[in-house]
Amino acid sequence: MADMVGLVHRLLTASLAAWQVMGRVQRDADRITLTVGAQTVLIARGAPPFRWMMTVGGRDRGATSVAGLLRMVRRVVNPDYPTSRLRIAPSRLVPP
Amino acid sequence: MIPVYVLTGFLGSGKTTLLGRLLRSPKFARTAVIINEFGEIGLDHDLIETSDESFVMLQTGCLCCTIRSDLVLTLAETLRRRDEGTVAPFDRVVIETSGLADPAPILHAVMSDDVLAERLMLAGVVTTVDAVHGAETLERQPESVKQVAIADRLVLTKTDLLVENPAALADRLAALNPSAPVLPACFGDIDPARLFDARIWDASGKLTALADEPHQDNRAHDHNRHDGRTKCFALIRDQPIPAVALTLFLEVLAEHCGADLLRLKGIVDIAESPDRPAVIHGVQHVFHPPAFLNRWPSDDRHSRLVFIARDLPREFAEALLDAIEAEVRETTRSK
Repeated sequence: MADMVGLVHRLLTASLAAWQVMGRVQRDADRITLTVGAQTVLIARGAPPFRWMMTVGGRDRGATSVAGLLRMVRRVVNPDYPTSRLRIAPSRLVPP
Repeated sequence: MIPVYVLTGFLGSGKTTLLGRLLRSPKFARTAVIINEFGEIGLDHDLIETSDESFVMLQTGCLCCTIRSDLVLTLAETLRRRDEGTVAPFDRVVIETSGLADPAPILHAVMSDDVLAERLMLAGVVTTVDAVHGAETLERQPESVKQVAIADRLVLTKTDLLVENPAALADRLAALNPSAPVLPACFGDIDPARLFDARIWDASGKLTALADEPHQDNRAHDHNRHDGRTKCFALIRDQPIPAVALTLFLEVLAEHCGADLLRLKGIVDIAESPDRPAVIHGVQHVFHPPAFLNRWPSDDRHSRLVFIARDLPREFAEALLDAIEAEVRETTRSK
């Protein structure tokens, strides 16, 4: 079994660097604490249907995937980031 | 499908000279050229002579800004006229961008339009670089960095003139885009086949460019000797990647990196398709549908993803793919 908390800890550390956000990511057993300025975000594994739970300002929010968790974290630490959606160019459904 | 090539390069880097020379070559006959000039009165189209089998059309304004939809209309109109027989029956389209253009939105326009996608296929990007002023331009003009980063072929122009430090420019180009061959062309003299027959965006075409991507260094290879913001790196994977993990990975990259993901191309060992690798190509958040090859092009069956991106640390891409892959495997096991 992969150490998912470890992988997410590493991802969040890399994410802050990529987003150019000053902050700190710490792991304590099965919990991750992310601190950016006065904001503290707590992250832990969730129960179905959520794979991850994020707590900010006493409020819990669930995410069903790493991708969803990353989106929630970014909205907290970097709320003005310009998002874009993946777009796959159209293609023929059948060969020409 | 009619291949579409984008010819870009900074102002004065020799695009029109190159195009003019190419259009006089019999090997480049049956070409429709769309020239975009910045300004109300265009000149370039008057400076280019073509054979009877090729023709040149002009658009003014900056293609990468408000006129993008006009490009789509122009291409659609050109196809209509080809069908009617009122223009020469061209076999390829070349879009010459304004020197100030960011080429990415132009690629998006060609890739994203449902109607055009039925008949046109983005086949490659050729970027001209002035051997004399290229290094300085790359220092000062962010558009020129993007033009180089996004290229499939780089054409070094004005090589007949004295160049103070050619190695510095070569290093800079290699740092920005190590997979694009650099081809010298004096007064536009170059074999068209070396530029426009590569069909690197077409999975049925040659894959040499991708096969040659940097991957000797086991896990990743950095080419970031000079440029602080635009970087090229590769991720290599030994194990097949589940299709859903690849999709999620691309979605997250598009969401969080968007415009900074200048180019991503890769050959991927998809877990569900072990003998038929997928070729992926993307410019910013727009990707071609994965194309499945009939077989691996070489004995190397590692997945290779090559990034050219601005302000995107390799560590982020690597950690993201690791986490998504692990989560997908965990989810699959628990079912």
